[in-house]
Amino acid sequence: MQEQFAQNKQHFEFTGKGWEYFRIWIVNLLLTILTLGIYSAWAKVRRLQYFYRNTRLAGASFDYHGTPIAILKGRFIAFGLLLLYNVTLKFNPILGLAIGLLLALVMPWLLMRSLRFKLYNSSYRGLRFGFAGQTRGAYRAFLLYPLIAALTAYLLAPLAHQRIKQYQFDNSRFGNAAFKFNGTVKGFYLIYLSAFAVLVGAVLLAFALARMASPQDMAGSIVIGVLIVGVALLVVSGLFSAYMQNLVWGNTVLGEHRFFSQVSARRLLWVRVSNFAGIMLTLGLFTPFAAIRMLRLQLESMGVESSGDMSGFIADQQQQATAAGEETAEMFDVDISF
Amino acid sequence: MSISPSDDRVAATYYDGRTAAGRVVMLSVSSSDLLLHSETEELRWPLREVHISERLGSTPRLLTYAGGGHCEVGDHAGLERLLDHAGISKGWLDKLQHSLSWALAAMVLIVVAFFAAYRYLLPWGAEVLAMRMPGVVLQQMGSSTLETLDKFALQPSRLDSARQQELRDAFARLKPLPDVQLQYNIIFRSSPGMGANAFALPDGTIVLLDELAELTQDDSEIVAVLAHERGHVERRHAMRMVLQSSAVGLMLAWYVGDVSSLLATAPAIIMQAKYSRDMEREADEYAERTMQFNGLSPCLLASMLDKLEAAHLAARKDAGKLADAGKRDEMTDYLSSHPATQERAASLCPAK
Repeated sequence: MQEQFAQNKQHFEFTGKGWEYFRIWIVNLLLTILTLGIYSAWAKVRRLQYFYRNTRLAGASFDYHGTPIAILKGRFIAFGLLLLYNVTLKFNPILGLAIGLLLALVMPWLLMRSLRFKLYNSSYRGLRFGFAGQTRGAYRAFLLYPLIAALTAYLLAPLAHQRIKQYQFDNSRFGNAAFKFNGTVKGFYLIYLSAFAVLVGAVLLAFALARMASPQDMAGSIVIGVLIVGVALLVVSGLFSAYMQNLVWGNTVLGEHRFFSQVSARRLLWVRVSNFAGIMLTLGLFTPFAAIRMLRLQLESMGVESSGDMSGFIADQQQQATAAGEETAEMFDVDISF
Repeated sequence: MSISPSDDRVAATYYDGRTAAGRVVMLSVSSSDLLLHSETEELRWPLREVHISERLGSTPRLLTYAGGGHCEVGDHAGLERLLDHAGISKGWLDKLQHSLSWALAAMVLIVVAFFAAYRYLLPWGAEVLAMRMPGVVLQQMGSSTLETLDKFALQPSRLDSARQQELRDAFARLKPLPDVQLQYNIIFRSSPGMGANAFALPDGTIVLLDELAELTQDDSEIVAVLAHERGHVERRHAMRMVLQSSAVGLMLAWYVGDVSSLLATAPAIIMQAKYSRDMEREADEYAERTMQFNGLSPCLLASMLDKLEAAHLAARKDAGKLADAGKRDEMTDYLSSHPATQERAASLCPAK
């Protein structure tokens, strides 16, 4: 039984190489600057294609199909909105706030569109992913729950986080197979509470040290206190990312295939800290290497456990028949990350 | 290893786009068609309907057929040979992205592009934008700057209202050049920290400090300085500085990836900013033309510049004795970015 399980355990492989990506990255950067940012849409497609095609599962790679023009349109829209907001906020704060509110109101819809674009334009083994989320659900996940979380002094933030992930995954599909998210609210609370506990512990420790210190050593103990809290924040951010990835992917199912994720928090923290140092020391030239290192760590600690065959998927008939999904998805892309 | 005709076949994985099952096929090119041979069938795709993905590092390349389905090819060298046979050449971008020398050249070009943009494109763009800025924006920026200055740097004027009116009248008698665009309004303040100074806000408000008004007995010298300030406003120097700094801030925010720090506040920029030499020269020329237009001598501005420099040098000497010398030095640095005062005075008043 155990053996059979192990046989069907497939890890993601990431074959991207730092030097290879560096060349693509630097040319992308140059052309983006020379075209005053216009090329950034083409650069994004190349970057994602490089990442997707270097991501392999069960011997086949992923691919990205977004068209630069659609991405460019989305960037123009986003840039225009941001500029409008910032300029009006500067010269007419009340109008600016009104526009900010309006932006918050359309944000869930934009997020839904962005998910649809991203998934529709991703493929594996020649089959497209898809996103069937509706506007109603988007407003519930991206506006209602965050609002509730804010109103309860973030006591319900883990619940809101779980609902967002649920909306994202439960509406995603690959070919005709649906994703299902089984992460419990309890799991989210455990991660949030442990992160909170470590931070509170660090702050208490810092205060205790400050109280023990004699008045002359006050300045020194403040520095040490700030250092303790800073290190704790860094550690917590690493733990949080790692545990969250493990929780989210460990509870995701696609048809009869179950994902798993076992990224080590210690290694994630190390990659993050060394990436930051590398980027600072090389004035940004390390950025492409940093991206490759992080992706390798995150992807290679993930995989799929399946009882069936990875090639058993078939295309979504509805999507093929109407092609309407394609049209609406191609209209524009909005760059919003989670 | 020799290349025999059988090397013109390249192994690939074929996906039909309807199922996730991949099949191993051999690819070859015959006239203008791409052939896919498998154990059971042979597919024929017209090459012009096949999209060939560009090389991206060592990632597999994809041949996508418009009629549905695609092939994944891992054998780069083999595919290159096949494409060479079919007469399909690589694009320039393809070469760029895979050569180390181009990567290094790109690094150098990026630095050059940044420098050129900062030195030439930015001032030009800021000028074009500033000259077209609607009056409402100039007004808002002027009043918010004044508010901030009043809060942190300026004190009420000690001049009595009769003296203030006298100076206002003197300035009102100075006919503006025909192409003048804005309404001007002089307000009076004092500031021991800033010393003898006058500065123009984007909306045409000119702030005249008591310290400057007390520097001379000759009101037409003060008027000359005001004409210089009017040059700054008419040429939108303050607005241009704000736009330039904002653009730099925007770039930095984009690079660092933090959008919350966007748009540094205008008052801070105007307070800290020193006009460039070109801007000072422009304002001097504007003042010169205004003076001549009114039948006044530009030498009035020249002599005022000398007095200002003397006053600031004296202030700096005093400040040197103070403990917080560094701070005061910054505040009294009014003339530091001005082209050497003597040079400016000479150009305004060659006879002297």
